[in-house]
Amino acid sequence: MTVTEPGTEPVTERVTLAAGASDAEIIAAVEAWLRAHLPEDWQAAVARGDLAAVEAIREDPERGPAWFDLLGDSGLATPTWPVEHGGLGLPADRGAVVTETLARYRAERHNRDFVGLVLAGHTILEWGSPEQKAERLPALRRGREFWCQLFSEPGAGSDLAGLSTRAVQQADGTWLVNGQKVWNSYAHLADFGLLMARTDPSAPKHRGITYFLLDMRTPGVEPRPLKQMTGNAEFNETFLTDVVVPDSARIGPVNQGWSVAITTLMQERNGLSGRPAVGPGEADELVARAVGNGSWEDPVLRDRLLEAYVEEKVLQMTTVRSFVASGDAAPTAEGSIRKLAHSVLAEKLGVLGTDLEADGAVAWDPAEGSEAADRFLAMKTYSIAGGTSEIQRNIIAERVLGLPKDPDPERHLPFNERGRG
Amino acid sequence: MYAEQREPEFGWTDEHRGLRETVRRVLADRAPVARARELAEAGERHDPALWSELAEQVGLQGLALPERYGGFGGTLLDLAIVVEEMGRVLYGGPFLPTVGLAAPVLLAADGGEDGPDGGPAAEYLPRIADGSLTAALAVEAWGPAGEPVVTATADAAGRLTGTAPVVLDGGDADLLVVAARGPDGPAPYLVETGAAGLTRTPLETLDLTRRAARITLDGTPARALGDPGRGAVVLARARAVSSVLVSAEQVGGMTAATDLTAEYARTRRQFGRLIGSFQGVKHRLADMAVRQEMAHSAAYWAAWQEPGTPEFAQAAAIARSYCGDAFLQTGLDAIQLHGGIGFTWEHDAHLYLRRARADRALLGSPQLARAELVPALVPTVPARSTTEGIPA
Repeated sequence: MTVTEPGTEPVTERVTLAAGASDAEIIAAVEAWLRAHLPEDWQAAVARGDLAAVEAIREDPERGPAWFDLLGDSGLATPTWPVEHGGLGLPADRGAVVTETLARYRAERHNRDFVGLVLAGHTILEWGSPEQKAERLPALRRGREFWCQLFSEPGAGSDLAGLSTRAVQQADGTWLVNGQKVWNSYAHLADFGLLMARTDPSAPKHRGITYFLLDMRTPGVEPRPLKQMTGNAEFNETFLTDVVVPDSARIGPVNQGWSVAITTLMQERNGLSGRPAVGPGEADELVARAVGNGSWEDPVLRDRLLEAYVEEKVLQMTTVRSFVASGDAAPTAEGSIRKLAHSVLAEKLGVLGTDLEADGAVAWDPAEGSEAADRFLAMKTYSIAGGTSEIQRNIIAERVLGLPKDPDPERHLPFNERGRG
Repeated sequence: MYAEQREPEFGWTDEHRGLRETVRRVLADRAPVARARELAEAGERHDPALWSELAEQVGLQGLALPERYGGFGGTLLDLAIVVEEMGRVLYGGPFLPTVGLAAPVLLAADGGEDGPDGGPAAEYLPRIADGSLTAALAVEAWGPAGEPVVTATADAAGRLTGTAPVVLDGGDADLLVVAARGPDGPAPYLVETGAAGLTRTPLETLDLTRRAARITLDGTPARALGDPGRGAVVLARARAVSSVLVSAEQVGGMTAATDLTAEYARTRRQFGRLIGSFQGVKHRLADMAVRQEMAHSAAYWAAWQEPGTPEFAQAAAIARSYCGDAFLQTGLDAIQLHGGIGFTWEHDAHLYLRRARADRALLGSPQLARAELVPALVPTVPARSTTEGIPA
């Protein structure tokens, strides 16, 4: 069965998989499809383990998009999406088997598509109008549009609902947006942004926010790259100056953007805590590295590695359990538990990775680089992005253990009457 | 050895839920924590009337034993549910020593369906199932590859000589399963409690709800259990099963300690506020909740694997490592968040901390459990090298 949506001619038939299919059946079906559709030189490069050659095809401006069109129309890129929107309608744990099988052929979507594929995708599926679904979902499925998130602001980090970017509705129904956003990964490359803006400053802070799907090419949208502590510049700060946004870009009701954002944030927490499977992970890589360079012989280092190995396996088991328990990726406070555990683990692994190196990864040959140093510098991403570990602990304490909510004297005050600290 | 588990991991059935409810109800009625404390303070080993009732009316001792040995043919997962519930209320009777430590050795040594009739399993397991026999497992210590370190040795006539310094329920059990060095390496033996040359010296215990003894054997007559050439395999298999059950008990204990602490934080007021509204308290409790969730996953993931497989052995060691460390930290945090009241004899918090430390030593430390992962994880590294620098 194929679905025709405006502006898309399917380039392949949709794959059919039963919701109750076993792991083996799903793997067999996906592999059969890949053998029939994945370019031969790609398959050959995978077979001989030549990841650089695969990467070259994936990043090729012609061949990469052609592959992701095909993958998108097959439904395999979005296995958990409903069938009517081009997905396969699989439960989360079945969908994960599809994605893992694709990953073994390096045929899965780019990591940088996470904001589009997962965050925008699920937010639009849940809250989008029929027009928004028809316009955005096909391109998301195919990876033809690149997305970023415009949530945080210089004055609204952990207290995200305290954001002050304004959107004022004009006489013609359009919205005039002014403000500044920050920590916007890939905003300088993005086609669309998930934007939250204040539309009713006289309402308490959670009740005066509206959510928009912003076309990043609109005049007045100006992303400026921010260099991160890693030395890379994936981040941006984004200035919004007299940006005119049509009302058709609004997703969800006016002033109910916070509810829409919860959908996005829950997906983000879930997405950051790993795939639901028990198998080789980062600790296994470090063990292999330690055995290879001899540091495994140090009994103290060995036990630290094994401790991290145990934690990673137990986190994987917990992720499997939460998928089985909820029957779907249904993100709840459970996601906060896994995100917190993952953040703690990521730091352990980041430090351990440098400890395994004879020189502590403090200096390296410029031609070779240092993966251990790269990971060390990136490890703090996990305990901050998507809500800091402190915020996750509050969520767990309040929603899982039933402890009192953190005092927030401004919570019920009209936004424009709260004190500015 | 146990019935095969058919549902995929974490696919709980109504039978599982029903079993949990039944056990929880019986224990809440007959063996709440207050009862464990009462027995401990009175110096009683356990409540024999409850023990009979658990066997005769609930059928817990025989729950996971094969039907041909008088059991109900349940799975290791069923047993883990029972032990977790017992862990919640700090039940300290002979259940874990008998059903969780000794019976797995009898089962692992048994030839299974094809095995000879009339062996030790056929003789003793029906008596465990009907509640008329309790047993204990005596091991000198465990080595880093999961092997028993034995000083007890068997002579040509099968007489044992040596000492097991701490044996859970060893002073009171009706039957001793002893890991000793036989002619073909470590192997399990059975020792009757009236045997010549057997001395059982009661010890004072850190875990007040449990009793322990030093077992000394001096030319004590014993009976080899199973094929002597397979002794090391039998002991390792049984130990993996026991690791899962001890992990389940730790999950139960840490769940109760977390619940107790969360309840206190929801009701205790200081500075005009519930103390659970302070982030210093909330965040420590959140970490307790994370550990509890993770420990639950580890114990039941292992319980869901098929006993005897390499996956089972690895998962059991992972569970023992994680749950052992997690329960200890939660025991510490529970006392911390209760403040002064948590440091008193009358409060239950210390009972959980005592249990946490004692359980952690039961089958070898979490560090030893991690060392057990090595042979499968890094097959090229000789297991011997893992023994260096690791305290027992």
